[in-house]
Amino acid sequence: MKRALVLSALLTLSTAAAQKTVTIGWSGAITGPTSDAGASYAAGIEDYCKYAIAQNMVPDTKLNCVVRDDQYNNANTQRNFEDYVGNLRASAFLGYSTGGTLQLKSTIQETKTVTFPGSYHIGNIDGANSDYIFLPISSYSEQLISLVEWVAKKERGAKIALVVNPSPFGRAPVDDVKKAAERLGVKIVDVQEVGANNLDNTALLKRFEAAGVKYVVNQNTAGPVANILKDAKRLGLLGKMQFMGAHYTGGEDLTRLAGDAANNFIWSTSYFLYDEADKPGMQLVKKVGTQYGRKADTIRSVHYTSGMLAASIAIEALKRAKGDGSSEAMLRAVTGMTGSKTFNPGFTVGPVSFSAKDHVGAESLRLLQADNTGNFKAITGAQRSQMFKLVHPN
Amino acid sequence: MELLPQLLLAGVVIGSIYALAALGFVLIYKSSRVINFAHGQIIASGAFIAFALTQAGMNLWLAGLIAMVATFLLGMLIERVFLRRMVGEPIIAVIMVTIGLASVIDGLLHLTPYGAGNYSFPTPAVLGGQGIELFGTQLSRIQLTGVLASLALLAGFTYFFNKSTLGITMRAVADDQMAAMSVGTSVERVFALAWAAAGLTAAAAGVILGLMSGLTLGGLAGIGLKVFPVVILGGLDSVAGAIVGGILIGILENLSAGYLDGLVPGGGTREVFPFIILIAVLLVRPYGLFGTKEIERV
Repeated sequence: MKRALVLSALLTLSTAAAQKTVTIGWSGAITGPTSDAGASYAAGIEDYCKYAIAQNMVPDTKLNCVVRDDQYNNANTQRNFEDYVGNLRASAFLGYSTGGTLQLKSTIQETKTVTFPGSYHIGNIDGANSDYIFLPISSYSEQLISLVEWVAKKERGAKIALVVNPSPFGRAPVDDVKKAAERLGVKIVDVQEVGANNLDNTALLKRFEAAGVKYVVNQNTAGPVANILKDAKRLGLLGKMQFMGAHYTGGEDLTRLAGDAANNFIWSTSYFLYDEADKPGMQLVKKVGTQYGRKADTIRSVHYTSGMLAASIAIEALKRAKGDGSSEAMLRAVTGMTGSKTFNPGFTVGPVSFSAKDHVGAESLRLLQADNTGNFKAITGAQRSQMFKLVHPN
Repeated sequence: MELLPQLLLAGVVIGSIYALAALGFVLIYKSSRVINFAHGQIIASGAFIAFALTQAGMNLWLAGLIAMVATFLLGMLIERVFLRRMVGEPIIAVIMVTIGLASVIDGLLHLTPYGAGNYSFPTPAVLGGQGIELFGTQLSRIQLTGVLASLALLAGFTYFFNKSTLGITMRAVADDQMAAMSVGTSVERVFALAWAAAGLTAAAAGVILGLMSGLTLGGLAGIGLKVFPVVILGGLDSVAGAIVGGILIGILENLSAGYLDGLVPGGGTREVFPFIILIAVLLVRPYGLFGTKEIERV
């Protein structure tokens, strides 16, 4: 009996010793600007990691997920990245902000760190130093062009105004959208930058009205868009103008902030929504969120699902690399998620597929519209923008 | 020309909120010559206290009043614990204390459940209905309430400083601390009261701002610096200046957004315009429109 116990103890010890520890690090805004999205995103990453550990998703491997606040400050992002990669030998970096990811591009390339940003800025994967960066879902450019395509189908020659965040995040899709609009036969009559402190949008909206704008396309976060919608309602412009926006503008955050002023807002995103209970991915979101004691608002937030997707891709890559967290193995695993080996965790309207040339994961998206109950309902099926590929070939 | 009255009216609405937020700066500067860089964080504290109470089921009006009492006490506490010890120290040291306080309060607010995120007050039914039309512009009930509440508070403080004994005492302390002390005035009490009153107005401003444009820590705390041009234009030690400066800046911001944004790629001139005015005022009339012109003979 004694001998059996000793053998068992030795076996346990040797198994533990054989287990490699692999680190996945996230740096994003749990506090500070855009933390409304970032805090839920971080929660999604944390919870999916716990779930993956509990499920022993990567056998013989000790998964170490580190989630740190960078307050949307690039210098903090840089420090976190250096610690993850330099000290913790992280196998994957889960980023967040556009500015942080763009700033780190050359360092990511130099350190060969597989990276999945929360920013869907096409510039993250364009040009040099982009071999190791992968967008989890379709880019802001493709999302906005899909909205403009919808407008063009509805009304040729329509006048559109773009309202974007005064940051690289906001400006990212402007050039592509302008090119697409020209080809689609609609007019971008104004591009205005609006930040988080937009206390009054009377001037902005009245100028749009005077210019004959019928469609306002937003590349921003939900807070500024909610203020624009509330002012549009006050000024009686909601029926006259159709308000629309890319991923970070919409969802429950928007309807909670704007109330009934969000009615009819059209939103593009690749994610399934909380209320789509028949989707296996959303069942998992609810199960995991409840299991780890998250508040209902957090679980309902699309950003919680986004965090889960980012974590699930990194962990799936590790699993396919059989726990080998080296740069080469991780890159091979990620770029191998193609053809019959695409990855479909069920969080998005299409599967996640990457290759050496294709660095966009879930490329399909849907347009959804807010109804008078404050919920978003799909008004298109899963689709890709036709025009995006023409105005942004690579 | 339809645009002009609309921009003017929108400017008055937003300007009256600026004036209320600027009042906190004026109250403290008027009595103690200290510029409080933590004022935005106190505005945010007041707004989030009220929001937390409404989340617990309390009526918005009562929650707002309790938040005002809470920030009244917070202002008093800040003065008692930090500022009183700084009496007689160089002004830059005192300013650095308020900058430090801004950071500390900001950090503490981040630790609350409301530090990260966008929130909105539950709108009471009485504020949710149809607003009124004025000069061809729709004003919501929330905006009207905000303007009226701001003007009422501003009028109250103007009366307080001009007519009440305590208000006149506070002005006397501001004019000459040594002389006020020599006639038995408790300068410490006056300072504490000024900080407390500034706290009270901060909560009012925070709740009104929260009702109008939602609650985010960055947005609410940021208003502290955004109203700086208001107090410089109006005059750092003038309540009337805060009112006039607030409304002027509100109007100029809107005119800028209405007429210049279309000419500048990306627009956003309303964010810059107040600070251009700030620079111009500092160069031409550093004591502002209504501030005390100090002349030192050497």
